[in-house]
Amino acid sequence: MVETLLLVGVVASIFVGFNIGGSSTGITWGPSVGAGIVKKTTAAAVMTIFVFLGGMTVGQNVMQTLSGEIITIDLTLSAGVAVLFFIGLGILVANIFGVPVPTSMTTVGAIAGLGLATGTLDYETIANIISWWIVTPVIGFWIGGIIGRYIYPEVNRRVTIETSEGPLLALDRRGAVPKPVLGPNTTWSEVGTTAVVLAIGCYMAFSAGASNVPNAAAPLVGEAGLDVNTAVIIATLAIGLGGFTIARRTMDSVGGELSDIPLLAALFVMVTASTITTALSYIGIPISLVMATVMTIVGIGWGRATRPITFREAVTRSPEVEDREIELGVIISEEEAGEPAPPIGEEEAEEVLHGSDLFNPRAVIKYISMWIIGPSMSTGLAYGFFVLFPGVA
Amino acid sequence: MLSRILVPMDDSEPAGRALEYALENHPDAAITVLHVVGVPSMMMGDAVGLSLEDDIGEAAANRAEPVFERARQLADEREREIETIVGIGHPARNIVNRADEYDAIVLGSHGEDRDRVVRRFLVGNVAETVSKRAQIPVTIVR
Repeated sequence: MVETLLLVGVVASIFVGFNIGGSSTGITWGPSVGAGIVKKTTAAAVMTIFVFLGGMTVGQNVMQTLSGEIITIDLTLSAGVAVLFFIGLGILVANIFGVPVPTSMTTVGAIAGLGLATGTLDYETIANIISWWIVTPVIGFWIGGIIGRYIYPEVNRRVTIETSEGPLLALDRRGAVPKPVLGPNTTWSEVGTTAVVLAIGCYMAFSAGASNVPNAAAPLVGEAGLDVNTAVIIATLAIGLGGFTIARRTMDSVGGELSDIPLLAALFVMVTASTITTALSYIGIPISLVMATVMTIVGIGWGRATRPITFREAVTRSPEVEDREIELGVIISEEEAGEPAPPIGEEEAEEVLHGSDLFNPRAVIKYISMWIIGPSMSTGLAYGFFVLFPGVA
Repeated sequence: MLSRILVPMDDSEPAGRALEYALENHPDAAITVLHVVGVPSMMMGDAVGLSLEDDIGEAAANRAEPVFERARQLADEREREIETIVGIGHPARNIVNRADEYDAIVLGSHGEDRDRVVRRFLVGNVAETVSKRAQIPVTIVR
């Protein structure tokens, strides 16, 4: 009986890991795959390795929170399996309806529901987690805003990311031992940028491992039956499997959308989101990598769209500049005044396109609503389940 | 008599049919095709990509060009002239905000179906929102 239940739990854990692998590989490698810098199989392989490293190191702190601190008792095997089913249900809903449901938050919700039903919820821990969930998007947005307004334009002026035709590296077979040489069109700066893109991808994969491995692994760890290493390895393999299979699609869908953002900006987003996610995982806060990513993206876009004022101008603080800072929409029209008239068919030359129109708060609020609805639903469902079937806990 | 008609278009099938319908049923009206770029999406990719451009106006016009190209082709086939406008951001709001300059709106029943549910969830059904909010007659073409 126990073996059967454990087997069911492992299958559920693989299902969760598999889906996490699909979605996190998509956002981690989508931009570099879209830019033709990394191949999809390379991406999936590197992803698996760094997810494992993240799960084994920083992920342990999140694991600790999930399996031992949100509720004051240890998760039993049956409770762990039930929790995994609620996480899986969240993923299923996300897949069927194509809405972004954050897995880390669903997991915390399901465990909290168990805690509420059994009266073992540690309110201090849960309050701490929720306050970080509120603060994190704000931090991501503001860091993104600062990058978009001051840092990105400067760096963009100095750096160009190029990819040449043909392979990056080739093998020189003239000697007795083939040695790698630069591909036919490769420049040294291209090798450099490729290395940077790969390194940043690895960093994001690491943070994905730190934040996401615990969702698949934690419910089965401890009293539930598996030791930490086994659970992490199972979760990693499942994530890797997702990375090699369904991520081919997510790298096109999510990744394709991320490819609309210039690669340089995407790299800024990846570094920021990974740092936020790794730092919070380090202090044991379960956090959604997607949440940090989306808020940084929106922040960069918003910072840039409301920008056209350079840092130097802002520092000089002339009265005219202060006016500009206040009337953001007007700035763009001023900037465009000197531009040549828009191409044919544009009778409304006097019409102004406000960059800030791109960041209608309502679009973001609908997104944020999923970060509230997702965990609330999983808390409610898990609570109802464990109240109806107290024996499971 | 409807003399000024707004036809919001994207690159979908129904959008093309909406323009054909407008051209055929309103032979004397001035037809304006509106295309909105930088539409909010799941990861906000399009919107952010656009905002990072040096000249948002020019970039928006470039992105809209394929849609206008197709619209002009449909108009040419019927020996008609059309005007074009680019909007950015939220499609339904763009359309409704411009409605007072026109006598009627003709639009396709649904846009491009790339992520049907996500789009519905994030931006809502454009045709539905426009028909509810616009103060002028709205024709929805299937």
